[in-house]
Amino acid sequence: METNTSQVPVTVLTGFLGAGKTTLLNRILTEQHGRRYAVIVNEFGEQGIDNDLVVDADEEVFEMNNGCICCTVRGDLIRILGGLMKRADQLDAIIVETTGLADPAPVAQTFFVDQDVADRTKLDAIVTVADAVHLSTQLGEHHEAEEQIAFADVVLLNKIDLVDKSQLTGVKDRIRKINPYTKIIETNRCAAPIEEILGLNAFSLDRVLEVEPDFLDSDHDHEHDDDVTSVSFVSDTPLDLEKFEKWFGNLLQTHGQNILRSKGILDFKNEKDRYVFQGVHMLMDASPMGPWPEKSIRNSRVVFIGRKLETMNLKEGFESCKSD
Amino acid sequence: MNNEFVKKSRFEENGKVFETGAPVTGAVSIENAIAVGFGDGSIRFFWPDNDPLEVQAHSGAILSIASSNDGVITGGQDGRFLKISTNAEVEEVYNFGTRWVDNVAAYESMVLCSSGKNVYIWSGENDKPKILEHQSTIGGIAIDQNGRRIAVSCYGGVTLWRLEKNKWKSSKFAWKGSHGKVGFSPDGKYLVTTMQENELHAWRIRDKASFAMSGYPSKVKSFTWAGDNPYLVTAGAKEAICWPFDGKEGPKGRKPLCIASGGQQNATFVESLPGEKAVFAGFRNGMVLLSELSEHPNDVLIQNPTGSEVSNISISPDRSHILVGDSKGQILWSPLWEQ
Repeated sequence: METNTSQVPVTVLTGFLGAGKTTLLNRILTEQHGRRYAVIVNEFGEQGIDNDLVVDADEEVFEMNNGCICCTVRGDLIRILGGLMKRADQLDAIIVETTGLADPAPVAQTFFVDQDVADRTKLDAIVTVADAVHLSTQLGEHHEAEEQIAFADVVLLNKIDLVDKSQLTGVKDRIRKINPYTKIIETNRCAAPIEEILGLNAFSLDRVLEVEPDFLDSDHDHEHDDDVTSVSFVSDTPLDLEKFEKWFGNLLQTHGQNILRSKGILDFKNEKDRYVFQGVHMLMDASPMGPWPEKSIRNSRVVFIGRKLETMNLKEGFESCKSD
Repeated sequence: MNNEFVKKSRFEENGKVFETGAPVTGAVSIENAIAVGFGDGSIRFFWPDNDPLEVQAHSGAILSIASSNDGVITGGQDGRFLKISTNAEVEEVYNFGTRWVDNVAAYESMVLCSSGKNVYIWSGENDKPKILEHQSTIGGIAIDQNGRRIAVSCYGGVTLWRLEKNKWKSSKFAWKGSHGKVGFSPDGKYLVTTMQENELHAWRIRDKASFAMSGYPSKVKSFTWAGDNPYLVTAGAKEAICWPFDGKEGPKGRKPLCIASGGQQNATFVESLPGEKAVFAGFRNGMVLLSELSEHPNDVLIQNPTGSEVSNISISPDRSHILVGDSKGQILWSPLWEQ
């Protein structure tokens, strides 16, 4: 996913039914005068969308025949984004609204897998609208709710006027346990500044360098083995490039289904550049990102968000990549 | 790429260039004209002897175009399925609202289109369309040479519909994955699809024996048939890849011919030169070559690189002119032969 000025940014809006996705969408559309958006909505949309370019879509999740079992893409998005790129008028951005029960992984993977989509558009960010009152219950009941938080670059925590302070702290802690990287914006009626939702460039490798995760105590107690959690590791000893490639490649091959997202900045022995990667399940984008800035600390940092992370010997694996 | 040191081809010297500003999305022959569909919803008719005629038809891009008995039919992003005559009369066949009309096709007085998961067929004087349902959004539709069979591709393969005693009966040609464009071989014995993966798939209709044609560095967006064998000519690689479909087994276990090898980038559109063993290949950088269907082909430069992907190449019905269109809206309209 190389950054290119002619790529149209695509923002994905997720969130459970009733959380406020359509309210947010209509706010974006009415407040951004003079900008041209295409909005891709699903057929179960809650209410009218006020825009002259609305495209109806079915959420068609396709498996790819590339030997990667968790590699699914959104076939309808490939078709519609391809079609929108044939238009004569220039779009400023595309917004994709998903159904409440959608898994964001196939949407994100579409931008890794389909060359035409990656050439002409770029995934800007996944924005999840969450209902402060109901999120805790939903997280316990639906895998999809956890996935939507795990994939979110921004969580718009909505309806905060309906919860008290301790409830709010509780739900925020829950979100951070799943995804320490996400930015939480507290709102009522989705009244968040638009610039904190659109134009984030969250999937570019540059952004991995900028966003510091909100690290939490890692020995938290969780109720089910299926809970989405996150872990992070830091090494001040430079890593061995070969050892890391071998361990990480094998890790994604065997556990990619349970690793929802991974990100990291790596310091390899005898390499003057910083290496940055970010992945969705088994798919990964990685690149050297220029030399380390003079005043920064050279170290390696990785974060994993997923299920059953404790079964993957992540700490031992990461430690074994240290150079001798 | 305006490089004054680039030597113009004979076709660029003798032809006219039109900058329309809207991507070329498709083209089709109609009477003695070529009708071109654009990304701004307009249609332009190009005649050998007259100036082009522009018709504003859809709002939003034209997604598909085909020729019917009495004009061209088009499907658009405005959800409209239109019939447009060569004297610019526009008639709405159907309006699907916010649903795009992705594919259209016609045979004599029968016209059909796909929108979402359904194919809609209008035949004869019937106002109400016959609806054929499918399990996922339709990637492509094709009608065979006799108008008796319709092939519909979607996720998981192709559904072949046969008209038997005025009823459409279906039969499934399954192959895992998402299928795009679909076509019949000229003898009607094979079905071919482009796939989401960088490959094509084909079935022998008689026994549903199927095989993949793979090894492409990019998605195959265009294919056509050329020569007497015939060859299936395909885009998607740095050369035009031509698979032999003669014999009992077609290309199974055989090597394709690779022609039009002068392009630096992947081919995005291929078209045959009717009546000749020759193929036009357009590339991602706008270059167009004419090449012979042979082991050691000669290439002729039709168009220098323009910087934009070739999205259509069409030959006028009288074979007098060639039209090349690209994804930025440049059209080259040129006499095909030395004057």
